[in-house]
Amino acid sequence: MTLTKTLYEKDLYPEIEDAGDSDFARDCVEIAAKRLEKGEISRRTFLQAVAMLGASTSVLTLGGGSAKAAEEVVVVNWGGPAVEAYAKAFGDPFEKATGVKVVIDGTGPLGSKIKAMVDAGAVTWDVCDTGTGTTLVLEKQGVLEPIDYSIVDKAKMQNIFAYEYGCANYMFSFILAYNKKSVSAEPTGWKDLWDLEKFPGNRTLRKQPNGMLEACMMAAGKSPKDVYPIDIDLCVSKLKEIKDSVIAWGSGSQSQELFRTGEVVMGDIWHTRANLLNQETNGDVTWTWNEGIVTAGMWNVPKGNPAGLETAMKFIASSQDPDQQLVLFDAMGNGPANPAAAAKVPEDKKYIDPGQPENLALQVLQNGPWYQEDSGVRNLTNDELSREMWLDALSS
Amino acid sequence: MHASLRRVYWWLIAPAVLLMLVFYIYPLIQVLWISVTDPVPGLGNYSELIDRALIHRIWMTTIRVCVITTAITVVAGYIVAYTMAQVGERQRTWMMFCVLLTFWLSVLIRAFAWVMLLRTQGLINTGLQELGLIDQPLRLVRNEFGVIVGMVHFMLPLAVLPIYSNMTGIQERLVSAARGLGASPWVAFKDVYLPLSKPGLISATILVFVFSLGFFITPALLGGGKVVMISEYIQVSFEETLRWGQATMLASTLLFSVFLSLALVARFVDLKKVFGAR
Repeated sequence: MTLTKTLYEKDLYPEIEDAGDSDFARDCVEIAAKRLEKGEISRRTFLQAVAMLGASTSVLTLGGGSAKAAEEVVVVNWGGPAVEAYAKAFGDPFEKATGVKVVIDGTGPLGSKIKAMVDAGAVTWDVCDTGTGTTLVLEKQGVLEPIDYSIVDKAKMQNIFAYEYGCANYMFSFILAYNKKSVSAEPTGWKDLWDLEKFPGNRTLRKQPNGMLEACMMAAGKSPKDVYPIDIDLCVSKLKEIKDSVIAWGSGSQSQELFRTGEVVMGDIWHTRANLLNQETNGDVTWTWNEGIVTAGMWNVPKGNPAGLETAMKFIASSQDPDQQLVLFDAMGNGPANPAAAAKVPEDKKYIDPGQPENLALQVLQNGPWYQEDSGVRNLTNDELSREMWLDALSS
Repeated sequence: MHASLRRVYWWLIAPAVLLMLVFYIYPLIQVLWISVTDPVPGLGNYSELIDRALIHRIWMTTIRVCVITTAITVVAGYIVAYTMAQVGERQRTWMMFCVLLTFWLSVLIRAFAWVMLLRTQGLINTGLQELGLIDQPLRLVRNEFGVIVGMVHFMLPLAVLPIYSNMTGIQERLVSAARGLGASPWVAFKDVYLPLSKPGLISATILVFVFSLGFFITPALLGGGKVVMISEYIQVSFEETLRWGQATMLASTLLFSVFLSLALVARFVDLKKVFGAR
């Protein structure tokens, strides 16, 4: 009786992970890895950074006397080129300023891993690079430390991204991307994505509601400033209106693939993927910042982090420096979270930075507090209820 | 059997048993445990099976897709296996090669290959349009149809192999004898060959159905986000919403449904015989 064990495709094919859903932080790594491969960003700058990192580490160890004396802070991101980029952007300056060694761990701060660590009382991570969705879910699970805003400066980020249990590390947007060759006129907002007569063809929306609900509200006629509070029922009925023409994306690369194969003519996707499509199609696929939804990558600190709360907060505060954020923007394309960085973005890169004042003026800032509110249904937050209802509507 | 010899046999399988206990049975018990303790002790998670329309829908999708996939796969697999059993040695080798060929390709590549073929501007749609057979492209992928195509393709070797291995043990003389006694080709097949190939048919059905229940990647890619099967929802509950109680409940239910389908089959056939244990 060998068959009582359920066989999964995953047992046979480990690369299955590639097809799963991803969040933005993980997606940035994928993009940067490809750019590095193509030689669009130089490895030498990375290597220099690593060399500096190694040098300062050895100095620290020598000066520290006992082997255990050197304090370290473990920063977790999605690996690959992000390890070197984060080391260069945030790790190195922090080490120089404080003498605390920064270890960039590229294992990937999955929410489930953070919860498992905290539940087991074996936390080895200090600062994690996640998203707003993960932050809200982890907050509800009670496994995060609150951000100490006496150390981290709220003024150095859009106020709305200063969550109680997470704060902005960088910014990115959900925008309306479209293929110029497949549309008769240029769409200018979410109403156009819902207009199947004027713009026939398939469109793509995300499997998760985060960043889609806002588009539904605007498509239903709400002005950008009246998007919140979101009416989930209304959003679901809007989704059902066009569902037959919707193909949902799970990971950033899937959203890109759908445009590449011509399966969709427009969609609500991340601006970074729209930019890649724009490059590879020589401008056929483009996007509008109009009615875009700006959201943020988040710093989280797991409860009981080994380096102590203060060190973790100091690291986050250090990463708010505009110049450090520009290094990350240059390497990975993550839009700086600190508004002061906007003016320092090179002229020819401004069109891909969601945080430029002229781009921000066209967009909506995602309202985290709304997602955290109680929905009034089965003790679920708006975030949890909308995830369920969105999936239900998509799969019905 | 001599008692001391039997003891030697037990020692021989002890490492395997130990491995199963530590790496399979123990985690399995943990999964069951979480399903009745998280977030609060009790059967709250299991009551969602009855209460929540979303979970009903996902289960119905899973069962529907699995049943259709299994039916098509087993019939198609039977035809392939039957042909293989009848043709000459050379053709048989080639057929076996082609059946196994798909096994060597990554599931991702296979899924993308289907997308390329079936999409609106894909080979099939453009071909049919140019032949003037259709005006509008057909929706062949990013829906349940696409998922079933992909799954049948994936499962076919799993149906062909057990059926074929069963057929190699059937004596052709029996069919010839039936023909000699005046049975038509159809009657000889239906009354003699088919019953003899039943064990292979049943093991193929179980294999394909049980394997289909846990499918994740093919529905996720070919379903366009609109065909959510149980595995995908387990992944969402486990990794995205961190509702481990719900995730483990669904995983346990999936396991129970495998046992249940085996128990159902066992009422009609001798499973030990089907799997060659007797």
